[in-house]
Amino acid sequence: MRRRPVLVAFLVLLPLAGLAPAGTGAPAREGWREFRGTWSASGRRQTVATEGGARAAIVEMSGAVVLTSGEGLSRGFRGEAIGFDDGLGVSLGRAVWTDESGDRIFSRLKGEPLQTGRTIVGSITGGTGRYAGLEGEYSFTWQYVVAAEDGVIQGRAVHLGGRVRRAGAAP
Amino acid sequence: MTAPGADRRQLLTRGAVLALALGLWFWPVPEGLVPSAWHLFALFVAAIVSVVIGAFPILTSSVLALAAAVLTGTLAPTKAFSGFANGTILLIVVAFLVARAVVKCGLGERLGHYVVSVFGRSTLGLGYSVFLVDGVIAPAFPSNTARSGVLYPLVLSVAEAAGARPGEEGRRRLGSFLMFSGMASLTVSSALWFTAMAANPLGAEIARGYGLDIGFGSWFVASSIPTLAAMALLPFVLYRVLSPEVQATPEAPRAARRALAALGPLRAPEKIVAATFVVMVGLWATASTFGLDSTAVAFLGLGVLLATGVLTLGDIAKEGDVLATFIWFAVLFTLSGQLNELGFMGYLGERLAGALGGLSSAVAGIVLVVAYVLLHYLFVSQTAHLLALFGVFLDVGVKLGVPVAILAFLLLFATNFFSANTPQGSSANLLFAGSGYLSQGELYRLGALTTAVNLVLYLVVGIPWLVLVTR
Repeated sequence: MRRRPVLVAFLVLLPLAGLAPAGTGAPAREGWREFRGTWSASGRRQTVATEGGARAAIVEMSGAVVLTSGEGLSRGFRGEAIGFDDGLGVSLGRAVWTDESGDRIFSRLKGEPLQTGRTIVGSITGGTGRYAGLEGEYSFTWQYVVAAEDGVIQGRAVHLGGRVRRAGAAP
Repeated sequence: MTAPGADRRQLLTRGAVLALALGLWFWPVPEGLVPSAWHLFALFVAAIVSVVIGAFPILTSSVLALAAAVLTGTLAPTKAFSGFANGTILLIVVAFLVARAVVKCGLGERLGHYVVSVFGRSTLGLGYSVFLVDGVIAPAFPSNTARSGVLYPLVLSVAEAAGARPGEEGRRRLGSFLMFSGMASLTVSSALWFTAMAANPLGAEIARGYGLDIGFGSWFVASSIPTLAAMALLPFVLYRVLSPEVQATPEAPRAARRALAALGPLRAPEKIVAATFVVMVGLWATASTFGLDSTAVAFLGLGVLLATGVLTLGDIAKEGDVLATFIWFAVLFTLSGQLNELGFMGYLGERLAGALGGLSSAVAGIVLVVAYVLLHYLFVSQTAHLLALFGVFLDVGVKLGVPVAILAFLLLFATNFFSANTPQGSSANLLFAGSGYLSQGELYRLGALTTAVNLVLYLVVGIPWLVLVTR
């Protein structure tokens, strides 16, 4: 079993590869700090028929928000979102991002239904810990959303980008 | 009674696993991960490592990890126990029982003698027959787990007809060879056909976002040469590594034909099992067309076998291994799935893939494929792996200038050919892994070997072929 030590070392060291230094964020301008990244998420969608033939849906998703830039923000978060699509093109939701310290960023979501190529806009409404008093906005586009068995869906959001600042910071 | 040396070694390995679990648990949580994701990773890795180094059997390590995850508040009980209601896992349990009926009624013996009569001049020939049968039936089975439910009774019957019994030394390696041939065969038959695995069309759907139109024909053209090379080489490699006790059996086909003649015509229980099995196979093959649930089809078959008395409650009670398999696989399936939900898999994939900036496109492409394959040690489902990482790796590769079609096909094929790397790497492995012919050590060792052979073949043979056919 000469491969065992290699396998064990691989399993243990694998996640540590993610500990490389963080990318530098865009410079602060007028109190705003820009950030960019991706969100890979899995979850579930439950639907119900509507009078127009379309289906209304509630969607619950969670996964990794990984930031490639964003001064003052963690390099990544656990992103959780819950949303409602009325089947007529209106989608609303709430999202929370949680970092390694348990500090959170809350946001309100609005946009197009959960489908490949559709865009969602988020308004940051506050936070806890180091993100207390945060405000800002962001958007992302679903690079793909695929439905697997048992109602499970998986998606990856790209062009995730926006800006944040402390509420009350100089305009 | 175990030797003192063995006791010491076991204590050492168990201590090492505990130290590993505690060390990872208390290691500072990497930036960007929530503590629960990191702690679950610590438990998951400790469970897998404990099996790999022989500290605990897989059932023991799984249930300990599950208990620790819930009692420490890392996972909510409802999430932690959700794997026990998973349809695919239930399908495995039922397929085990149906396979037992095939053997019990005598149909398996008949099937085994038939296969030996055709392919039985050598043990290697029997191995190739497993790959051949699987490769032929694969395009009709979108669920490779369901297909394993068809292949396993056949392999089990051939093993028994060839005189191999679990736990009996005389021809144990012969049984191991045939059983692992079943597992290895599924890795490549699923890669050969677009419709041979549920995740293949999902991957094609993601790849469509990059302008790739992958269908049945284009998939087969792209996969044909590397997959056929793997089908030709894998039985031989496994044969050389396992070195079955019996190798040349020139008299076996004649003996099998005599045994078949002695069995006489089909008996009533055999007819019931055969008819049930044919209906199950038909329903499994058309399940996606008619919107049927594969697990419900398996339950239908089991119900018929119980109602007709071919299987009895006494037979079910004897299948203790099925319960063990159900528990450990459901646990690991859940832990791995929760790692994804907690953001660990996405985080790891994005970070690893993102660290490749600066590499040439050719090197980046190969590193992406190799990393994608190695990461399967953390997954307990091929579909979950594809959904979590395929898009991420493809996206990074495209940005680094890797030809999208070549990378997409390689990652899609890898989603199939890495499935035997661990016994829990795919639900399609479980029937063979739980057959009793293969030890945990053999499963991991042969799994790593099979995956390595596949990886090398798909890179060395596959890349030139893909360059040619994707122009």
